[in-house]
Amino acid sequence: MNTLIVEDEKSLANEIAEYLQKENIICDKAYTGISASEQIAVNQYDFILLDLGLPDYDGLDLINEIRKEQDDAAIIVITARGDVDDKVKGLDMGADDYLAKPFALIELYSRMQAVARRKFKISTNEIRIDDFVIDLRSRKVLFKNEEADITRKQFDLLQYLVLNRNKALSRIQLYEHVWGNLLDDQYDSNFIDVHIKNLRKKLSGYGQVEWLKTVRGVGYMAEY
Amino acid sequence: MKLRHKLTLANLLFKLGFVILFMIATPWLSERINLYQTDNELIDKRETVISIISELGVEPFLLNEENDVFGSYNILKEEFISIEPVHLDDFWNFIEVAKRSIDNEIIDYRVLNYSFLVDGEMFLLEIGKSLSSIKTTESNIRRITIGFLILFLLISVIFEMAYTGMLLRPLNTIIEKIKTTANPSNYNKTPITSSTFDFKVLDETLSALMTKTEELIAREREITQDISHELMTPVSILRSKLENLLTHNNISEETAEKTQEALDTLHRLKTLISSLLLIARIESRQYLKQDTVEITEVLDEMIDELLPLAEEKNIHFQRTLGADHKITNANRTLLFSMFFNVANNAIRHTPQNGSVSVLTTFENRAFCVVIRDNGEGISPELLPQLFMRFKRKNNADDDGSGIGLAIAKSIADYHHIRIKVESMPGEGTSFTFIFLQNP
Repeated sequence: MNTLIVEDEKSLANEIAEYLQKENIICDKAYTGISASEQIAVNQYDFILLDLGLPDYDGLDLINEIRKEQDDAAIIVITARGDVDDKVKGLDMGADDYLAKPFALIELYSRMQAVARRKFKISTNEIRIDDFVIDLRSRKVLFKNEEADITRKQFDLLQYLVLNRNKALSRIQLYEHVWGNLLDDQYDSNFIDVHIKNLRKKLSGYGQVEWLKTVRGVGYMAEY
Repeated sequence: MKLRHKLTLANLLFKLGFVILFMIATPWLSERINLYQTDNELIDKRETVISIISELGVEPFLLNEENDVFGSYNILKEEFISIEPVHLDDFWNFIEVAKRSIDNEIIDYRVLNYSFLVDGEMFLLEIGKSLSSIKTTESNIRRITIGFLILFLLISVIFEMAYTGMLLRPLNTIIEKIKTTANPSNYNKTPITSSTFDFKVLDETLSALMTKTEELIAREREITQDISHELMTPVSILRSKLENLLTHNNISEETAEKTQEALDTLHRLKTLISSLLLIARIESRQYLKQDTVEITEVLDEMIDELLPLAEEKNIHFQRTLGADHKITNANRTLLFSMFFNVANNAIRHTPQNGSVSVLTTFENRAFCVVIRDNGEGISPELLPQLFMRFKRKNNADDDGSGIGLAIAKSIADYHHIRIKVESMPGEGTSFTFIFLQNP
């Protein structure tokens, strides 16, 4: 996938690029609105990561330009201003998703995958692990066609782990993804542990869950 | 006591004091005046008698009398006049109070004594006026005076009440304006109408002060927001760098763990900043309130969310959602966070095998949500600062910044919900959310 990162903080743009390149995503970087505008006019992108808070350019204008120049590009808006207004405006004008700083790189990658699945109709709605089938569309877990009884949050956790196959996810990353807008300051690593423990207990009632691994010092991983 | 009543009362007391003083002094005063008047009259009469005598001589007076003594009383014995010869050396000229016995009756008189020489003979002229007649006049004067004073008092009180009421009306308007102002931004800045300079100045000063306060509050919020925004970018960069570091294959397990710890710390920094941002945004009303929310439904979701945590500590998490309440113009996410933060806090501060209960009820016709735990409780001196940012409770194993409750408080304020906290150290704490009916 061809991606343009529009971010005036060079250091952040470089880190994002470094991470995405490891996932085999081709990255271009634009540190100013003007150079972004030029690159949009010249190149075709699958993804444009756009920081709305550019010093030389109104981010919302850029969205307009992107929509005019390239219809296919998916836009993920990034901003330090988590303002509701910005978010609504950005999504209204045709952004596909929205991320508030600071975000986990893996969260960004997951969002990109989700947008891609939606936008480019990549149909991986069912993920198979041993005898478990995780249906992303109906949000169900089936074991040999029998529906496993898990809660919504447990499904969210499982889905995030499964989609980030073979990647260790930290408790913070899981917490932010599942309870992202819960607005609680008292981040408690125990919180995730309890939910994973319950998830394992439920799933192991159907079949073995060796694939749901604890990674010491980091967090959890779905290995399959 | 109101200023108006104080003014009237002070005036009344002053006048009353003056009237009492006057009433005490009246007998003495009127006696003085009367005596002076009487004495003058007596002197006038003396002049008349003397002029008669100098014209006609003494003889006509003494003509028909025995012992050469002349005496004449009017019928009611209020006055008398007498002339008698006295020794040559006697010299009289004074006015005194003397008792006279007339027809077996002793009467007090004011008597003028005056001696005069006629044809080598000395005579004493006595002109008297009975004191009882003087006293009658005196008491009449006093009665009129007192009546007049009481009337004066009454009229002046009525007048003052009316006048100060009218005079202080602008002040009352200003007080009313302040009373109905919960927030400097909704202070009514339309100038009052008054011809009193002082009130105008007061009103203008207050309006200016409110504007200034409003500006300061807005600026404080703005600064909080700006700082938070500015901090988010470096945090973001730092986080990306650390996360990238973790994806490197050749780092040792120890480095990975340390990096993870650094990320944990960074996460705490992030949540702190975003909490501050959140509070600033709530306080500057940036969140939309467009949801109609059934409170018990939010509570149910919140309890489901926290149940695993409670079960982990073997805490009995009990729900008694008897009463339900639907509120309009609310923000559901914020309300959820408010309950979540308080309940999460309760679970955290309740020991193993303890209990946390959530119940809904109506108290004085107001809908209430109560979240109660039997945990360690909060000491009374810490209660007032419970909702203040960054005031940590006095225990070491509390790893929160304490901002969760500050968030809950600002959300409650935003939705016109009053939070009441009752706590007994060692016995537990209860948070009551009172939904005010007429915000």
